Amino acid sequence: MPLRNSPARYGSIAQTLHWLVVALLVVQFTLARIADNMPLGPDKVGTLARHKSVGITILGLAMLRLAWRWFDPPPPLPSMLPWQARAARISHAAFYAILFAMPLTGWMMSSASNYPVSWFSLVQLPDLVAPDPALKKLLHEVHETISKILIALAGLHLLAALKHQFLDRNGLLFRMLPWRPR
Amino acid sequence: MATPLTFRIFAALAALLPCVAVAAVWQGDEQSGALQFFATQAGAKFPGHFGMFKVRIDFDPAVPAQGRLDVTIATRSADTADAERDEVLHSQDFFWIERFPEAKYHAEGFKRDGMGWIAAGNLTLRGVTQPVAVRFELKPGALHLGMKGGATLRRLEFGIGQGDWAETTWLSDPVDVAFDLSLLPETAATSP
Repeated sequence: MPLRNSPARYGSIAQTLHWLVVALLVVQFTLARIADNMPLGPDKVGTLARHKSVGITILGLAMLRLAWRWFDPPPPLPSMLPWQARAARISHAAFYAILFAMPLTGWMMSSASNYPVSWFSLVQLPDLVAPDPALKKLLHEVHETISKILIALAGLHLLAALKHQFLDRNGLLFRMLPWRPR
Repeated sequence: MATPLTFRIFAALAALLPCVAVAAVWQGDEQSGALQFFATQAGAKFPGHFGMFKVRIDFDPAVPAQGRLDVTIATRSADTADAERDEVLHSQDFFWIERFPEAKYHAEGFKRDGMGWIAAGNLTLRGVTQPVAVRFELKPGALHLGMKGGATLRRLEFGIGQGDWAETTWLSDPVDVAFDLSLLPETAATSP
């Protein structure tokens, strides 16, 4: 598989970035769920610290993906109805918006609650806002709401990919896989 | 022969002398400035502060060995801008404010330390007394004494962080303390 995109499919760099972010998002939802059920203790601090580090990693990967997308534009969509192509473009844009909004609201939330962010205890990141309990509560709700939108969008994305692959048989899923599905 | 005016000036200056002498004792509290602490959680340092404290310093640069520094801190005034964390901080696992409402620092004798001074005193916190060196600089003003400095202590030496909190992976042992105060002469502040 070539590094760069071809007209038929995404290249290995775009694919790696895509699936890496998928895997990290699964990690994020898992860590958040675990931390939510913990009382405040070192384990919770540690779990949330990992959640923040992975979140910052996703923010970095999102920037990398946008840059790569600009450098190496995605292959054209396979034949589909115009509304479907339009929906695909809108949902892809929404994914990018969320990949930035999730880490940024999380980072702001950390700053607002005076729990600054470090990236894997290696680098401490600057605070985006001053400590403010009311703002923290609001950002927490925003962060959670965006996560729900992300789940819904990911579900739609997956269903659409499966529909195109197995009902329309236009080979769409193959574009983002290293091997040809049978 | 002294004129009445000259006499009056001398009398006025003489009256000031006791003030100058006792002005070697300066004091302040939370109105005088900030007393902060910085702990490191998961590799990220965050600030907190004490909202209630008293400071008293008796200091004559000519005889630093006779200097005295006393600080009393109300442990319940520890504030990290997060209610949940403050609750833990006030609990038995940390300051245990019901049993140990005050932390006290006492130092006798200061030594030169670069541009400033170092006080080798003892801090009593959560019922444990340990030596803690406080470094500070003094900036005398017309009416006040600027005092700025800090110390680094190890929280676990004082039992700050019991049970699960005794680990240092997610909450590091060293805690920095910093203060920036503008102290007043003790006489001026205590007079009505």
